[in-house]
Amino acid sequence: MKKPSTPTAMTRRTVIKAAAAAGAALLAPPIIKARGEEPIKIGLDNPLTGTYAALGKNELVGAQLAIEQINAKGGILGRQVQLLVEDSTSGEAGTAVQKARKLIERDQVNFLVGNVNSALALAMAGVSNEKGVLHIVPGGHTDGITGSSCHWNVFRVCNTTTMEANAVSSALLKNIGKKWYYITPDYAFGHTLQEGLEKAAAKGGGTKVGGDLTPLGTTDFSSYLIKAQSANPDVIMFLVQGDDMINALKQAVQFGLDKRLHLGGAQQELESLLGLPPEARIGTWVFEWYWKQPDVPHVKEFVAAIKKKTGKVPTARTWFGHASIWSCALAANQAKSLNALKMAKALGGMKLPPEVGLMPNEAYFHEKTHQLITTLYVGNAQAKGSEPEDLFNVTQLVKGADAAASPEEAGCKMTWPSAT
Amino acid sequence: MTQLILFNVFNGLVVGAFYALMALGLSLILNLTGVINFAHGGFLALGAYIAYTLLPYVGFWGALVIAPVLTALVGIVVERVLIRRLYGRDPLYSLLLTFGLAFIFEDGTRFIWGAQSVPYQIPASLTTALSPSLFFLTGYRVFMVVLVAAAVAGLFLLLTRTRLGMRIRAGTLDLETVSVLGVNVRILRNLNFGLGIYLAGLAGVLAAGMLGLQPTIGTSLIMPSFVAIIVGGLGSLPGTLLGGILIGVASGVTTVFFPSATEAVMYVMMGIVLLVLPRGLLGEEGRF
Repeated sequence: MKKPSTPTAMTRRTVIKAAAAAGAALLAPPIIKARGEEPIKIGLDNPLTGTYAALGKNELVGAQLAIEQINAKGGILGRQVQLLVEDSTSGEAGTAVQKARKLIERDQVNFLVGNVNSALALAMAGVSNEKGVLHIVPGGHTDGITGSSCHWNVFRVCNTTTMEANAVSSALLKNIGKKWYYITPDYAFGHTLQEGLEKAAAKGGGTKVGGDLTPLGTTDFSSYLIKAQSANPDVIMFLVQGDDMINALKQAVQFGLDKRLHLGGAQQELESLLGLPPEARIGTWVFEWYWKQPDVPHVKEFVAAIKKKTGKVPTARTWFGHASIWSCALAANQAKSLNALKMAKALGGMKLPPEVGLMPNEAYFHEKTHQLITTLYVGNAQAKGSEPEDLFNVTQLVKGADAAASPEEAGCKMTWPSAT
Repeated sequence: MTQLILFNVFNGLVVGAFYALMALGLSLILNLTGVINFAHGGFLALGAYIAYTLLPYVGFWGALVIAPVLTALVGIVVERVLIRRLYGRDPLYSLLLTFGLAFIFEDGTRFIWGAQSVPYQIPASLTTALSPSLFFLTGYRVFMVVLVAAAVAGLFLLLTRTRLGMRIRAGTLDLETVSVLGVNVRILRNLNFGLGIYLAGLAGVLAAGMLGLQPTIGTSLIMPSFVAIIVGGLGSLPGTLLGGILIGVASGVTTVFFPSATEAVMYVMMGIVLLVLPRGLLGEEGRF
């Protein structure tokens, strides 16, 4: 038998070696695929692991469906479309940027799509702008993307945090109360959402009685809830998202806070409601898209197509992914070119056709900010609906144009490159 | 204000007890085998998901009993097949192995149960609060503290009163001598690993009742556990318990004054302890 060697202490050298090996693995050459006619490539750089994995995967499913539909209709400029998918992680801007560079430089994608995380979306926009690649942000909400950090090549499908804040605030002020306490995720998205809500509340006579910034990925919200409760608000505004939203709401309801005050917020997603026990599906929120819209044409077909793929109904995220990929195709086909500048000019001001928009009012990209002006769905979460996945009761439709900030308010000053 | 601080101290005890449960399992494994089990969070998630799967058939209490045992069995197999081969090698090997395992666990649970969070129902009898003012002390949380206390007491009895426990403790001090005295070290390490993973599984089932159950449930809990071990002192189980409770209380109290530092305060504490008492609060001299 081999004599076991004595364990040696870990040295700095071994750690550095391991780190170098890990770095090298990332640079390993990709498998080279056989080439026929060169397809048009769309690079999706979105979270598949971590806190936002569920959201990222739903955007992916929507994107895949759009690719199938576009290819069935003859592709982009007569060429087939291919989706290249990279995992951006949920919170590491460095990884997201590295993957964006890989997609643009090595894979030579014609379009870049991403990210769920606002901070990562902003970081990626820096890369896409430097490289002059048309970039669609499907689901990162912070104002800056189509505001103070707007770029000529960047378009956004989901709403700005200001739009969400303006849409939901009147319902909360009118029906619930004027004293709000904020539980806000401590990064770009949370900051601008809270700012928007404070502004909107102030207009309607609402006040902030307190608020806490919570680190992304917080599991235990009990200490924040104790503090929030002692401030005696009418509403605790849960601005956290994803798993954080589930943890926070679940604990608040276990503490019985829902019986003393209103638990609500702005952005809510079907993914979060599905992950909550029925008694915690409560509160006033805004949805950005909802699958139950019996009067809106083409929605039924979209829901059926997604159900066929996944067995589940589409969420707002699925819709974001779907609309983002379709926006790429619409831009190219309208511009009759793959030149990013020409495509950006074509997409600015473009109305989405009803089978892509899938909303009561026509959705269009604002010409000056490149923000998609949508319809917002204000309503209440419900423990049980007519069907198992019907967890939101829409009470009010808000037109995006009424909720969005003007380009001046948003602080968007776009500089276009000179045409070459 | 005083009331707010007091509430957060109480609450910190509850949260800290939970950290301690997870950290104790990690500590057990680290002490005997020198393996830093980065996959501990993965085992925690596995325990939670097994409980979720069993829930419709055996109910909350049944799942609470069965799921940790099944998780421990998986742990025993993993030790037997993978980890055992790396004892006696540079600790970096087992670190890399468990680091990789953590990713495999996370993506494995995502593959089997989906990325979407799933709701985990706890019995209604456990959801009521003790009193209206102490609303954060729900039946579930009190039950959790009791269970953690029972698990800790059981663990200490096992370690001090049984032959297996004595061997584990002896092995922790000097594995070579224990081996020479005729104890089968392979089985000892194997059972010890299983015991550590049992605690991870138990923590998982408890976490599923309080948190959203998703594949990353363990990842977010593993760092506080490591911090608890380092603050409490490597090699000392009472130290680990103390470390868990201390960081729970510290982050609770920080919320009152500077909420965005709630997470950072743990690492600040760790830094201070490492500077002033490099062995940790109750760490023993000469080890690690």
